[in-house]
Amino acid sequence: MKSQSLAVALGALGVIFIVIAVLYAVGVLQLFASTTSGPHYKHAVLFAVLAVASLVAANFARPKTAA
Amino acid sequence: MGLLQGASELFPVSSLGHAVIVPSLLHWTFKQSDPSFVPFLVLLHLGTATALLILYRDQWVAIIRGFFTAAVRGQMKTDSERLAMLLLVGTIPAAVLGVFLESRIKSLFASPYEAAIFLIANGMLMLGFEMLRRRAERRALSAGVSRAEQEAHFASAERISFRAAAVVGACQALAFLPGISRSGVTIGGGLLAGLRHQEAARFSFLLATPVILGAGVLEIPQLFASGVPVAEYVASAVLSGIAAYASARFLLRYFRSGRLDPYGWYCIAAGLASLALLHFGL
Repeated sequence: MKSQSLAVALGALGVIFIVIAVLYAVGVLQLFASTTSGPHYKHAVLFAVLAVASLVAANFARPKTAA
Repeated sequence: MGLLQGASELFPVSSLGHAVIVPSLLHWTFKQSDPSFVPFLVLLHLGTATALLILYRDQWVAIIRGFFTAAVRGQMKTDSERLAMLLLVGTIPAAVLGVFLESRIKSLFASPYEAAIFLIANGMLMLGFEMLRRRAERRALSAGVSRAEQEAHFASAERISFRAAAVVGACQALAFLPGISRSGVTIGGGLLAGLRHQEAARFSFLLATPVILGAGVLEIPQLFASGVPVAEYVASAVLSGIAAYASARFLLRYFRSGRLDPYGWYCIAAGLASLALLHFGL
């Protein structure tokens, strides 16, 4: 499915996931974590993977111009 | 423990279930409630993941190259590129469920009774997958064809749909329950998605590698911090890797014409026997 707006939405989602990953990595975000202090690297890695997946999906959804 | 885990990890019989039940049955002085128990198991899994990386080294090179090529281009043109994206889609559900359900699942690890019950459930799942597969074979093929012809009718891993890859990936999360086999549920999921047995096993092994590796790398610092005998644990991981490599080679050959049924019956029998032995304190 190729759509410019879908690509933009997925790209924005990717950026949000990157921000969440950074917040987990530096210990600012504690949501859904087993402890309430310190960095949560598992959560950070998960959101980094989700960010990569979203950005890849955004590139797939972007309409390609003919060369 | 290393040999046990490595041998049982790739067979659809739940390595985690065996790792919880067997020490209790043999009265090994291994505290399953110890904080180092799960990281120790993860270190053993790391040995398994290394064995899988070695077994599929050429494919992993192609998959990683295919991932970057397709990601940058925004299009999949080769089977390796498609397989790379399928593995990404399949890995995400297990990773999400693993991270958010981890602490709840860990609390189940302490009980061999629960592991034995889940082992029985795992056996029933294996038999159920094969029952559905036989139904699909009957629908698609006329009677009297050979097993090889039956298998040839089904697809290779690269042809699976993205939705099916996500469902198979989500099935991996069931394996966080001790007694439910990761390879069993993913091979079964692959069969339901229309893969050949051997291809379902290959997809299962490829899908397991990043999750096991990721979990292992993240848990290792916890293992070293708890003051456990690291050298012995690493030796166990090496043994686990050797056993896993041999198991994978055997299974890939077995699934050319073999089915999940023997493992299903084994899990039911082993689960019932474990429950009886645990109950009567033998």
